[in-house]
Amino acid sequence: MEKRNKIIFSIILGVVCFILTMVIFLQFKTISQTDIISIESMREEELKQELSTYKTKYDEVVTKLEENNKKILEYEKSLSSEEEATNLINKELEESNDLIGKNSVQGEGIIITLTDTKDSKITANDLLTLMNELKQAGAEAISINDQRIVYNTYIVDINYTYISVNGKRIVSPYVVKAIGNTTYLESALSQKQYGYIDKMLAAKKSVVLERQSLIDIANYTGDLSFEYVKEEK
Amino acid sequence: MVILAIIIGCIVGALVGINLPTISYTYSGYLAIGIIAAIDSVFGGITASINGKFDLRVFVSGFFGNAILAMLLTLLGEKLNVDIYLAAIVVFVWRMFTNLAIIRRHYIDKLINKMENKKNENKKESVG
Repeated sequence: MEKRNKIIFSIILGVVCFILTMVIFLQFKTISQTDIISIESMREEELKQELSTYKTKYDEVVTKLEENNKKILEYEKSLSSEEEATNLINKELEESNDLIGKNSVQGEGIIITLTDTKDSKITANDLLTLMNELKQAGAEAISINDQRIVYNTYIVDINYTYISVNGKRIVSPYVVKAIGNTTYLESALSQKQYGYIDKMLAAKKSVVLERQSLIDIANYTGDLSFEYVKEEK
Repeated sequence: MVILAIIIGCIVGALVGINLPTISYTYSGYLAIGIIAAIDSVFGGITASINGKFDLRVFVSGFFGNAILAMLLTLLGEKLNVDIYLAAIVVFVWRMFTNLAIIRRHYIDKLINKMENKKNENKKESVG
């Protein structure tokens, strides 16, 4: 009887210890595995606090965002106006380049091909005359053998052996391209008897005139700059 | 035999507790209060056994009853928006320290008595 009581006593104490340690270790495990910072494990008060801090932060961020949006708008405005100015300047620059011959251009025009014959050679004067005639007829862009005629272009005979245009040596056949009103250009050159073509033909030189709806004229490849010329103040 | 049962119970309990799935953090608060109550009961039991007044029925009923009551009080406090668990912890920990003091004094007295007895024996031997 005494022994039986002792066994029961031991078993009950063992069970009590078992439950106590089990619960304690379970709690240890729970606490160590729970992420205290994560929202799921927070208490209500903590959550409220977090929420209020987040609200304040959110308000701050929203104000900042609005400020930044305003700034962006301002920047965009100034940027667009700057862009407009740049575009305008670029447009003007392009126009100027077109005018002085720094850009390749295209348009309707005529092509005159002058070729040396057995009897007669083409001289620089022939080309100069042609150039003048074309300009008078309203040619807007002229090139001789792809040498663009610009404000300082010179056409000279060198020892009566070849012709120099813009300092570049060119030889027959001389292909003169001119952009302008084709009717004006053609009629100016092909006047009877006193026209350029008739004169040239009379001098037994070969001239061929061609109308084209689209002519490409290359840009001037040399350097265009003033050394002595200065703008008047 | 009693000590063996306690040791086995502790080891098996630790192993099972480690391998159990974790419980929700919300309920771990109740569990903590229960644990405090149970530990208080254990110290109370040790004190009672020192005084020779240990009763298994009182111990077991206190062990589970206090734990469950503490949990229920915590739950009630949660519903009433009053932190009753604080009061429970204060009471349990206070009682724990009281019991610990009693246990400590008991064993210190025992140790001192033992040492004095030895001294007296030594004296007797030297006199004899």
